Amino acid sequence: MIEVDELTKRYGTTTAVDNLSFQVKPGRVTGFLGPNGAGKSTTMRVILGLDSPTSGRTMVKGQPYATLRTPLRQVGSLLDAKGMHGGRTAHNHLLWMAQSNGIARKRVDEVLAMVGLTQVASRRAKGFSLGMGQRLGIASALLGDPEVLLLDEPVNGLDTEGIRWVRDLLKRLAAEGRTVLLSSHLMGEMELTADHLVVIGQGRLIADTSMRTFIEQNSQAVTIVRSPDIAGLKAALERVGGRLRPDTSGRWEVSGPDAMEIGEVAAAQGVALHELTPRLSSLEDVYTQMTKTSVEYRGTEHTEGALVSTKKGA
Amino acid sequence: MSDVLTRDKPTRPIAPANATLQTEFTDVLIAEWTKLRTVRSTVWTLAAVAALMPVLAVFVGLTGSLQPDDTILGGSLTGATVAQMVAAAFGALVMTSEYGSKMIHSTFTAVPRRSNVLAAKALIISGVLFVTAFVFSLIAYGVGRLLLSTADYATGELFPSMVGIALCFSATGVLGLAVGTFLRNSAGAVTAILGVMLLPALFGPLFGDLQRWVNGGTPTAALERLTQTSDATPEVVGSIGAWPSLWIMCAYCLGALFLAAIQLKRRDA
Repeated sequence: MIEVDELTKRYGTTTAVDNLSFQVKPGRVTGFLGPNGAGKSTTMRVILGLDSPTSGRTMVKGQPYATLRTPLRQVGSLLDAKGMHGGRTAHNHLLWMAQSNGIARKRVDEVLAMVGLTQVASRRAKGFSLGMGQRLGIASALLGDPEVLLLDEPVNGLDTEGIRWVRDLLKRLAAEGRTVLLSSHLMGEMELTADHLVVIGQGRLIADTSMRTFIEQNSQAVTIVRSPDIAGLKAALERVGGRLRPDTSGRWEVSGPDAMEIGEVAAAQGVALHELTPRLSSLEDVYTQMTKTSVEYRGTEHTEGALVSTKKGA
Repeated sequence: MSDVLTRDKPTRPIAPANATLQTEFTDVLIAEWTKLRTVRSTVWTLAAVAALMPVLAVFVGLTGSLQPDDTILGGSLTGATVAQMVAAAFGALVMTSEYGSKMIHSTFTAVPRRSNVLAAKALIISGVLFVTAFVFSLIAYGVGRLLLSTADYATGELFPSMVGIALCFSATGVLGLAVGTFLRNSAGAVTAILGVMLLPALFGPLFGDLQRWVNGGTPTAALERLTQTSDATPEVVGSIGAWPSLWIMCAYCLGALFLAAIQLKRRDA
């Protein structure tokens, strides 16, 4: 369990995190979403005790991170900057970390095997590819077999196979009852991995809801239609407030009336429909829309539309 | 790599979580020692500290470049002040190399008690430098005894000066660590520490009566007095005796370390 409680963090006059509260519960993968500069990494650094909050507090397993004994056995973390000295070998990097928390030496070889770095264990980290560095970071997060995991962009630089491996690993860890907080800018990946979402924009909470609810509630209702008489249909639909946009494959995207309404309008007009498909946005669509909204409503406390509807969903 | 990807078992138990509570600081010490010996920059800097004194002793011995009133000890340890500056850089590097690579994030997530990290680093730096300086200044002295005649020069008083010299290196390394902690940047820290060590000797006279406290407390002054070189004139190193000079300097270094600990605790990593 990770708790963020009315957290505010300012750097000089810049407010990176603004009165942010949420909880990350065990047993599921929680995705942490937000545009660049939204405050994700800052929040994670505060949770890990690296930066101190301007106000508010964060707790891991019921206590501040800084008071945890042998924290690596309880919390595994991977931050955006990899946090390793390029001149040190992968094995030695994991070794000092293990020693600092009284973790058995053989665990180092175990996690190296787990992430597939056994063969390069004695190579210096600066010679590592982005993907290898990422694997080493994941190895150090898993070192203490922790109950809580915080991972900032863990699949950055991994190939398809590596990405799938991380996804399966995180899902399995969550299924074992661990708490997993994952940030990623890869929406497709997030949609496949996370069960729950915490979305922030400009340091504030935008949504704290399940993945499904998030997408359903924030989707722009779009219906795909195909018709031999698109001109007639277009005129009829525009009279009831519909907007039509051609898509790339000769079909039309209708927003405004839903599929039922469109069907009825078409029937009333005597226009044939060759296709009528309601389409739910992907996480990426929703997120892009939402991010725009969050930028548009910059600085206002109470906003309408997407922002409010997600808060209801929370 | 693909074969390993399919056989990962992340949840094997490791060890009971309460097994090491009482040895917490020992664990940090061991980890810091591992860090120190597994990176080239720190190892080579330490090697330079070790090599400088014997190498310069050979040079001085072969060329006989001593003042008539110099001791063999003083002549053999001509390289000591330079070695001492490298020792300061060594102390600084132990901290700044972690900031350069953001390794400090890993360090503080592994050990959130930052003062423990600093204390462990200080202990290891001072221990390693004490042993290195003690052994290699003895070797340098041995070289001087071989190459210089006791008929021409006084031998100089070996003990307890050697212990003081080694202590001087320890304290200098700790000062380097403190400066490195403040500045977080290798180049800046090395420049700053050279300034701290060299400038008082140049500008000491400007301090008037305070000169003895300023000059006498610098690491270089304490070292030059202890090595009993003829260069250690009151104008340069102040008018305090060797041992008081060393204690003042140790106090300065510990004070700097204390301030660094406060700073480290307050600052965002």
